[in-house]
Amino acid sequence: MSKAGGPTDEELVEDFQGGDPRAFDILVSRWDRKIQGAIYRIMGPEEDARDLCQETLLKAYRALGTFKKEARFSSWLYQIALNVCRDRLRRRKSRPQVSLDELMEVGEIAPAVRGPSPLDLVEASDLSRTVAAAVESLSPEQREVVVLKEYQGLTFLEIAQVLDVPISTVKTRLYRGLGQLRQRLERQGIRAAAPLPAWTP
Amino acid sequence: MECEGFREDQLDVLYGEADAATTRRVEEHHEVCASCRDEMAALRRVRRDLAAWELPKAVVPRPVPSRRPWMGLAAAAALLVAGGAGLVLSGAEVRRDPGALTLRWRRADADLQALLARQEERHRADMAALRAELLPVAHPSTTRPATADEALLRRAQQLVRESEARQDARWSAQLAAFGDRQETQRRYDLARVSAGLSYLEGKTGQDVVRTTELMGYVLQASQKK
Repeated sequence: MSKAGGPTDEELVEDFQGGDPRAFDILVSRWDRKIQGAIYRIMGPEEDARDLCQETLLKAYRALGTFKKEARFSSWLYQIALNVCRDRLRRRKSRPQVSLDELMEVGEIAPAVRGPSPLDLVEASDLSRTVAAAVESLSPEQREVVVLKEYQGLTFLEIAQVLDVPISTVKTRLYRGLGQLRQRLERQGIRAAAPLPAWTP
Repeated sequence: MECEGFREDQLDVLYGEADAATTRRVEEHHEVCASCRDEMAALRRVRRDLAAWELPKAVVPRPVPSRRPWMGLAAAAALLVAGGAGLVLSGAEVRRDPGALTLRWRRADADLQALLARQEERHRADMAALRAELLPVAHPSTTRPATADEALLRRAQQLVRESEARQDARWSAQLAAFGDRQETQRRYDLARVSAGLSYLEGKTGQDVVRTTELMGYVLQASQKK
């Protein structure tokens, strides 16, 4: 990534490794916003994306001296960010939580009133919130791929490098994730169509 | 089975990563396969829906720090240490007398100038030492073990704690001095009130005597009649 003919990320990394600390400031200015957005979409509103982004950048700063030049800086930075998110998710799992939606789906509880409540109607009209809830309902692996592809604009090859998995695995996770999102959005009344067929690569 | 072979290609087309040959192959398949054509249309709709998810305004990037975090932390620690050390080196003495802390200046103004000069020298030495310690962080080509960073962090935290303790003592001393002044003012005010009451009491007594004399005079005059 370079801006208006400026140095690429990898050139800035070289400058930093050569003793120019300002190069890291430029890298931060380029990636801070995107990384923070990715973290927010993966972790949801329960976590402070700014804190996790700072943690990511601090780890990157400490490890940049050992950065290998054959990798892309952006892929390497996303790897760090995803590891930070996974660590936080593991810690969150130690505090078990059950969502009301899950309980309703498995029949543990039933809605007291049939039909949408006024609150449901307000929320249903907020497509942005509905989509956010749908993405949050995905498994962490699917959510990572969907966020990196849909909102970060990475290529399949870049995602495969970030996750260290084959491209076919990336595509399988994305396809299944999109299928679940479609079903979930349909349940929310966003669309009415048949589910995607199963994919067995 | 034939359709499953197109799924990966469909995703490439969906996200604009397919080459011309792949795009043509998928399009030809869609012409004869309504299921895959519908599936592609559904995927495009899902993508349009996903685009509606906007980040909340609260998720905004912080301003890019102009310095590295370690430099900022160390500079803040050095500043606090210098401030706290200045209180000691300039001759301030915090004493705990019974019931209160007192702050007093032990040294004359002439001595104070020399002490301030020495304080400046020590401040510069502290800054130079911290800068030397931070050099490996600013130039990571020399590998720096995590334990060194942790030791530096512990040292910076220790310096901050010591400085906070000195600041607490300083504030306590200033509060004690303020308390002393308040006590003095309170006693002065009480004395004034007491004097005022005494004056009123005296004046009232004189009035009573005068009234008694007047009553006696009136009584004597009435008896003469």
